[in-house]
Amino acid sequence: MNESDVSREACSHVLERVYQFHDQALTEAEATEIRQHLMACEPCLDHYDVEQAMRLLIRRCFDAEHAPDALRMKLRATYTVVVTDSE
Amino acid sequence: MVMKLPTLPDDIVDEPTPTESDAERAQRFETDALAYLDQLYGAALRMTRNPADAEDLVQETFAKAYASFHQFTPGTNLKAWLYRILTNTFINTYRKKQRQPQQSGSDNIEDWQLARAEAHSSTGLRSAEMEAMDRMPDSAVTDAMNALAPDFRMAVYLADVDGFSYKEIAEIMGTPIGTVMSRLNRGRNQLRKLLADYAREHGLLPGDHDE
Repeated sequence: MNESDVSREACSHVLERVYQFHDQALTEAEATEIRQHLMACEPCLDHYDVEQAMRLLIRRCFDAEHAPDALRMKLRATYTVVVTDSE
Repeated sequence: MVMKLPTLPDDIVDEPTPTESDAERAQRFETDALAYLDQLYGAALRMTRNPADAEDLVQETFAKAYASFHQFTPGTNLKAWLYRILTNTFINTYRKKQRQPQQSGSDNIEDWQLARAEAHSSTGLRSAEMEAMDRMPDSAVTDAMNALAPDFRMAVYLADVDGFSYKEIAEIMGTPIGTVMSRLNRGRNQLRKLLADYAREHGLLPGDHDE
């Protein structure tokens, strides 16, 4: 009973930090703790894998977005330097 | 009108190059700043959720950036600087205009705890179900992102698509790093749940073997 409580607590601790672990925003000691837990806990590793896949999906979906050509041309025209008329 | 930009971090307070002429600065703007057009447009589209407003927002952002470009120090983080202007412009102008309907879960403190509790249950996608993601149409992902509260949506977008660090996102959004992490956690949890719902509703999951 105690063991399962402890492990449940460990899991929620890990799941709270999986994002930061992913983002490499943890200290080495914290990251090691998460890594060790992931290697030993199938459901948490599952969660981690799905997180990874979700990030790839988001990137795939939005990375390809391009500004419309008309906007690009308009901005280029606005900010292209006119080097005549210097005194 | 004076722009409301957050205070610049210490490493950006150096004097601008004093010898630079207007023409040189304009040249530098064209070369350096306009190079981020696609990325800024993508972020603007995520913020406004419609192409016409996104175009306006990007144009306004470049106009403001150009007007204060002399304050930007070459060699510092131009991309983050531009995103900060984009974000401020969005907040000051478009967000008021858009009058968004109530977003799901934005102020609901429980959804994050709920998501955590559900993490091991059948509600979230499992790795065995990850192939569902390969078959997920872009429109489903876009809809899920658009369903998030604006703060969550931007945090996720800035982190996952633009690859900004927590510190950079904190500067761009003008919030403490802890707030950034909380927005990311909650945004990603909600996103995950929305995608799982989509997969379930559209029969993208391999079968009913929950529980």
